[in-house]
Amino acid sequence: MDLRRPDRLEALAAEYVAGTLRGGARRRFEALRRQMPEIDAAVRRWEQRLLPLAEAVPPEEPPLRVWRGIERRLWPAAAPAAPASRWLRAWQAAAGVLGVAVLALAVLLVQAPAPPVIVVLQGTGAAADFSGGFVAGIGGDGRSLVARPLQPVAMPTDRVLELWAVPPEGSGPPRSLGLLRADGPTVLSRDRLPATLLQGGAAALAVSVEPPGGSPTGTPTGPVVYAGALRL
Amino acid sequence: MPHAAPSPEDLAHWLARTALGDRAAFERLYEATCSRLFAVVLRIQRDRGLAEELLQEVYVTVWHSAGGFDAARSQPLTWLTAIARNRAIDSLRRAAVRPPSPAEELDADALPDDRPGPAELLQRALDRRLLGLCLEQLAPPQRQSIALAFYDGLSHAEIALHLREPLGTVKAWLRRSLQALRSCLDGGA
Repeated sequence: MDLRRPDRLEALAAEYVAGTLRGGARRRFEALRRQMPEIDAAVRRWEQRLLPLAEAVPPEEPPLRVWRGIERRLWPAAAPAAPASRWLRAWQAAAGVLGVAVLALAVLLVQAPAPPVIVVLQGTGAAADFSGGFVAGIGGDGRSLVARPLQPVAMPTDRVLELWAVPPEGSGPPRSLGLLRADGPTVLSRDRLPATLLQGGAAALAVSVEPPGGSPTGTPTGPVVYAGALRL
Repeated sequence: MPHAAPSPEDLAHWLARTALGDRAAFERLYEATCSRLFAVVLRIQRDRGLAEELLQEVYVTVWHSAGGFDAARSQPLTWLTAIARNRAIDSLRRAAVRPPSPAEELDADALPDDRPGPAELLQRALDRRLLGLCLEQLAPPQRQSIALAFYDGLSHAEIALHLREPLGTVKAWLRRSLQALRSCLDGGA
């Protein structure tokens, strides 16, 4: 599968979206798509061109058992109030540890200055172009935060990175902490940080890709490309 | 449940909330899109039981990968439709070539059930602005090849059987048709 020739890449992307690329060739193409942004871009362009054809298919209501099956697969315990994506489960675990640790700290470190908390934000794989990671250091008093990329992140000129504090599950929406520089350290101002950041206010930090100026909606709108659980 | 097209803004919002583990948003996303995605899957995978199974897998995938949706690069419904179509096409892998359709299906789109045939669906799509104009510029057998591939998930070999044309001819038709569609759509003509 020689995809160095642009016309070949275009032709395969077209057949992939039209559905006639099959079997082993289809699987190889999908594997390459995950590694090569130019393939992903060609597929997306073809999807924009061809998938509007699907609107001509008359809608067909699936039976209720399909939704029940989805619920069973995603939430086997069937506890109706507990959203649990893979991340959130990781964050919940971290939050549990956090609760215990905060108690322990409160008891043991009454006077000693708290050490800074280091959070490593790893690539989520949500978008191909974001490798590496970020390291965030939070002052032990929770009133200062410095975040820096492990290596400079190449950003499209019309996109920015935004940092979020993700609260423990069920305690509210994520809170924006501000925009991050992609090429060096960002020092976040004291007044942007929630006072409870290290007292159970956040279970994780996450970075999303946003339009210039940051998310217009108050929640992440682009892919969440880096995330890391808070651990003490 | 009404089939009014959900607004892209609503869908993008529910996807963003889904990425954060919001079950209520995920359920609204399902309600707003399940009948469209089920129809897309069912055209390609005609076994209803399997199609229901596939639809479950589609939404499980959506739940886990909603964080990868980028509103700046994709329309939400396009993104969802791509997941559904890919899952349905992959389910056809096992049978390399499905049994050829009965001879009476060859003309007039007469399918055993009362669903619209691929040519009729394409005709509906033709009524839609630019894509329709571009499709109309293709020769009829080339248009039909695209309709059979896109709507019913037929492979090259199956299209060749269906149209009683040599495999090489069908492959060349499709390749040229897709190229022609691209220059027509991208040229805005």
